[in-house]
Parts: sequence; structure tokens; C-alpha cells
Amino acid sequence: MINLLSRALLMSTPLLFGAIAEVFAERAGVMITAIEGIFLLGALGGFVGAYLSGNLYLGLLLAIFTGMAVAAVYGWITVYLKQHQIVTGTAISILAAGLSSYFMRVFFGTPILPLTVEPLKAIPLPLLSQIPVLGPIFFTQNILTYAIYGIVPLSWFILYRTSLGLTIRSAGENPEAVDVAGIKVDRIRFAMVLLAGAMGGIAGAFYSIGFLGMFTTNIIGGRGWIAFAICFLGNWNPLGVLVGTLVFGLAEALAIYMQSSGTMLLPNELFIALPYILTIVLTISRKSFNVPAKLGIPYRKEN
Amino acid sequence: MNANLRDLFLSTFFAVVLGIVASASLLLFLGKNPIAAYTLLATSIIRDSYTIADIFVKATPLILTGLAFALPFKASLFNIGAQGQFYIGALAASAVSLALGERLPGLPGILLVIVAAMVAGGLWGAFIGWVKAKFNSNEFLISMMSTYVALAVMNYFLRTALMEAKHEYPQTDTFAPRLWLPTIFEGTRLHAGFILAVLFALFTWVLLYRTDLGYRIRVVGHNPTAARLSGIEASRIYISTFFLAGALAALAGVTETNGVQHMLVQGFNPTLGAEGIGIAILANANPIGIIFAAILFGALKVGGNVMGQMSGIPASIIEIMEGFVMIFVILSYFVRNFLATRRAKRVLQKSLAV
Repeated sequence: MINLLSRALLMSTPLLFGAIAEVFAERAGVMITAIEGIFLLGALGGFVGAYLSGNLYLGLLLAIFTGMAVAAVYGWITVYLKQHQIVTGTAISILAAGLSSYFMRVFFGTPILPLTVEPLKAIPLPLLSQIPVLGPIFFTQNILTYAIYGIVPLSWFILYRTSLGLTIRSAGENPEAVDVAGIKVDRIRFAMVLLAGAMGGIAGAFYSIGFLGMFTTNIIGGRGWIAFAICFLGNWNPLGVLVGTLVFGLAEALAIYMQSSGTMLLPNELFIALPYILTIVLTISRKSFNVPAKLGIPYRKEN
Repeated sequence: MNANLRDLFLSTFFAVVLGIVASASLLLFLGKNPIAAYTLLATSIIRDSYTIADIFVKATPLILTGLAFALPFKASLFNIGAQGQFYIGALAASAVSLALGERLPGLPGILLVIVAAMVAGGLWGAFIGWVKAKFNSNEFLISMMSTYVALAVMNYFLRTALMEAKHEYPQTDTFAPRLWLPTIFEGTRLHAGFILAVLFALFTWVLLYRTDLGYRIRVVGHNPTAARLSGIEASRIYISTFFLAGALAALAGVTETNGVQHMLVQGFNPTLGAEGIGIAILANANPIGIIFAAILFGALKVGGNVMGQMSGIPASIIEIMEGFVMIFVILSYFVRNFLATRRAKRVLQKSLAV
């Protein structure tokens, strides 16, 4: 049980990075529909950096850069050129799928055995990890999971208690007002897209170097889209997103647990599909959404 | 020629060329000569009738998944789940084909397979439209997620009820040859499914621009408020549009199982849905344009495969070409819009000057 919950927290980490990334961007009015591609190339960047340098943190750094590079292309097309966000995101995700397997080949050729790196280790926090039950669950995790303890309150504080947060939210609710105040709407939006790219890159790298220690081209398998969904389900609020990611992390940990436990009461495929079914059920059952008013709509100054 | 139409053709042409050039430049990373590789690509796709016919074989399911995105798009709905609807269609086609065996003569048997697959995929799609109509759920998310569920459903059946007699691989036995879609050119793999796909593209065009339902679909897409005021029930449009989209994507399942592989194999054609979106974008969601865009993507696939076999370039170059072409096509929308606005301004200035 403790093992399961600890695993659940681990599996919710990348989803939280991705979903908070979406919250910031969508609050400013831009959906990051390229998120699946950002995750994937982040995973690739993280693995390449870690494998070639032998240092996981350099891998993470490269993942951040790759994520931001993808996001920059996405942001340029959607924010500055005002093109359709869903369409652009799909194009970038297809391209990312091709690029990831292509660059694996460029860097590593065709190795017979899959290449691996030692994934991020759990760092037991002194004293805290000794607490019964809570210790192994909350205080024996890797550094990225510890980071989410800070990210959730910090992002909530920034969004709701600072003038920067107000500007970000206004860019998605009432961009004209932001413009009138002399702040460039597109600049705010593009910055948020870049931020989302950095966080999405880390999220992707979590799968390759934070958890599995290897890279495969289907490593993300829709997790980017789940993070995208969690942002909706969490009502564009970091706290709602936290609840959403924990539920999904639990579903994923449960799926892994049921598959490895070997009890065949229910078909394996049901557990694999569980997070996706959960998204569908929750999307249908959620009633009151607090959608940013200008979400997905490019800002054009009236002439 | 109309200036906007000229811009459309020119900008799309340049977008495709730029997309191919951009992907070619990546070959330098592998130390390959891009010019030699792409000369090989261009010559290899017109090498013999078998390869030429294969372009149309590859284009067949792409036409259908392209339509499966384009039709809801006209109603401002996003069907990102064509991949899942395709899997459900393939699954239903396989189940019916295996159950039928030799029991029915060819034509009625094939028709039954097609109807079963289209109904199954249609219902799978209609669910998305239904929850959109009933609960105002986000169809983009639901359709996206439904693909992963469909994949799990297909894998489950391939491991249990539909698994081959030998029980070795997650795939079905070969279907009875009478249920294969007939070949239309001897000595090639080109099957009747291509004709079906083209017919359905024409059907979709007629539906959209010459029928009452198509008019309603476009009104809902163009101006939902006006649609409601004029008494069009959006919820019905949601359900019927998604049913049709699901049925079209499911037909792609039939063309692949009964037309190409003659069995169902786990995880086959995993990119058809996304490529369909690309094709719809390339064709500006026009059903007739989709036929040509699909043939272009089919040529890229065939050429990319041949290039890979002959010069050791990984097959992922195909996705890279598709991705770059899509991105440059999106950029070409921007350029076209810019040109049209400038033209309009000039006309305005002229009329003011007079």
C-alpha cells in the first residue's frame, strides 16, 4: 500500500509539471496543443544529454532547452502569426515523433541492446523520511517530485497574489485591458508558452531519465494529452490541477501494480486504458468550467 | 484566374517544396547527400507500376481519415480521434470477416463487412457527439482520449477472441480470400478500396455543399448563434457529424484489413489519424482537395520507404517530411492572409483616390 502511494506520487510528478505548464499558458490565452511533442522531445533531450555527458542534471538542462525550442516554434506560429492552435499543435506533434526517432538514430545509430542511463535516485530526506507511513510516501522521492511541493503553492501565489499573475490572467480574460495598460499581450503570451516549454521539457525528461532510464519513441504515449486534460479538469487552477494529477498518478500506479501482480481478474488492457477512461468520465461529469474567456483566440489589435 | 485561388495554389506548392527541402537538410546530420537521396526518392516512386500503384494504396486510408477530420471541422468540431475510430472499424471488419469465413459469396460478404465496420466506428464516434450535445463536454479531449481506449479494446481482442489459431502473435488468421477487396490492377496491390475512398470524398463534398444537412453543418460551424436562432438543433448536428466522421475513419479500417493485410495485426498504421489531420489542413478541409493531398502524402510514404531500404535512411524521415510540410502549409495560411489583406487595402486606396 505504502509502495503504491509512493509510486502514485512519483507518477503524478511529470503530469503536474505538464499541467501547471498548461495552466500558465492557458490562463494567458494560449492552449499548448504541442504538449505531446514537447514531452517527447524533452524526453529525448534529457536522455541524449544524460547519456552523452553522464550527468542527469545536464540531461535535464538539455530537456529544458529542447522543450523551449519546440515551444518557441509553436509560440511564434500561434501567438505572433495568429495561426490555429490545435492545427499547429498537431503538426508539431507529428514532426516531433519523426524527429525523436530520427535523432536517436543520428546520435546512437542502431544499437542491439537498448541504451540505458541510471535514472534519478530517491533521496530520503533526513529525519522526515523516518516518519512511519508518511516518510516513505512523501519524503523518499527523487528531486523532481520534491520540486512539485514547491511548485504548486508558488504557482498559486504567482497567479493570484502578484501583479504579474494578474497580468497573465488578464491576457487570457481581457487582453484589450492589458494592451491599454501598455503591456504587450503577445509578449506575455509568448513568455508563458516558453515557460510551458521548459516545464513540459522537464516533464518529458522525467519519463526518460527520471524513471525508466531509457528512451523509446512511444515513451510518452498520450501523457502530454493527459496533462492537457488535467488542466481543464482542474479548472485552470494549480490546486485543482494538484488533485487531478494525484488521481491520475494513482490510476497509473494502480495499472502498473495490477499488471505486475499477475492476478488476472480483469484484463490488463483495462488498466492500461484506465487513465484515458478516467479522463473521459471526468470530462463528461465536470459541469462548471471556468474557461479563460479568450482561450485559443489570437489577440488582434483593432485598427 | 482569381487572385485568391492563384495564391492558394502557389503558396501550397511552395509550402510543400519548402517542407521537403527542410526535411532533406536533416539528412546532413547522418552524413547523407540530400540531393542524391531525394533524386532517389523521386525516381523510385515512378520506378514501376507496382510502386506507382502503392502510392494510391497508401493514399486510400488517408483520404478517409482526412475526411473524418474535415467533416466535423466544417461544424467547428474537432475530431482528433480518427485513429481510434479507424481501429474500431478494423476490429469490426476483422470480427465479421472471420465469423463469415466462406459462408457468403464475395460481394454480399464484403458489403456486410463494410456496413458492420462503418456502423461500429460510427457509433464509437457518435458517442463523442452525444456527450458534446448532452453534457457540453469538450469533444477535442474526449475524441483524443477515445483513441487510447480503442487501442486497448483492439489489443484485448487480439489477445483473446480474435487471436490467430496458432496463438503465437497478437494478430488474427488470414481472412477468406473472397472477402478481400478485389485488386483493380493486376500485378499491384491497388484494391477497390481506393475507388470507395474517392467516392466517399465526392459524397462528403455533395453532403456538405448540396444537401440540407451539409448546410446545417456549415451554419453551426460558421455561426452557432445564428444557427440556434434559425431553429437548427446543434445537438443533432453534433451527433450526426461525429457518426459520419467515425464511419469514414472506420472504412479506412476495412480498406487496410480487407484490402491490404487481409488480417488484423496489433498496432498497425499508428499514424493514420494524425496524418489525416495534416491532409485536411493541406487541403483546407475541402473533400476534393483531400483526395490530392492524400495522394501527395501517399507518395511521400512510398518514396520514404524506398529511400530507406536503398540508402539506409531511417523511415522516420517520412514523419519528418509530413510534419514539415504541415508546418509550412500553416505558414502559407499566414502568407495568403497577408497577401489578401494587402490586396484589399490597395483596392480600397484606389477607390478612395478616385
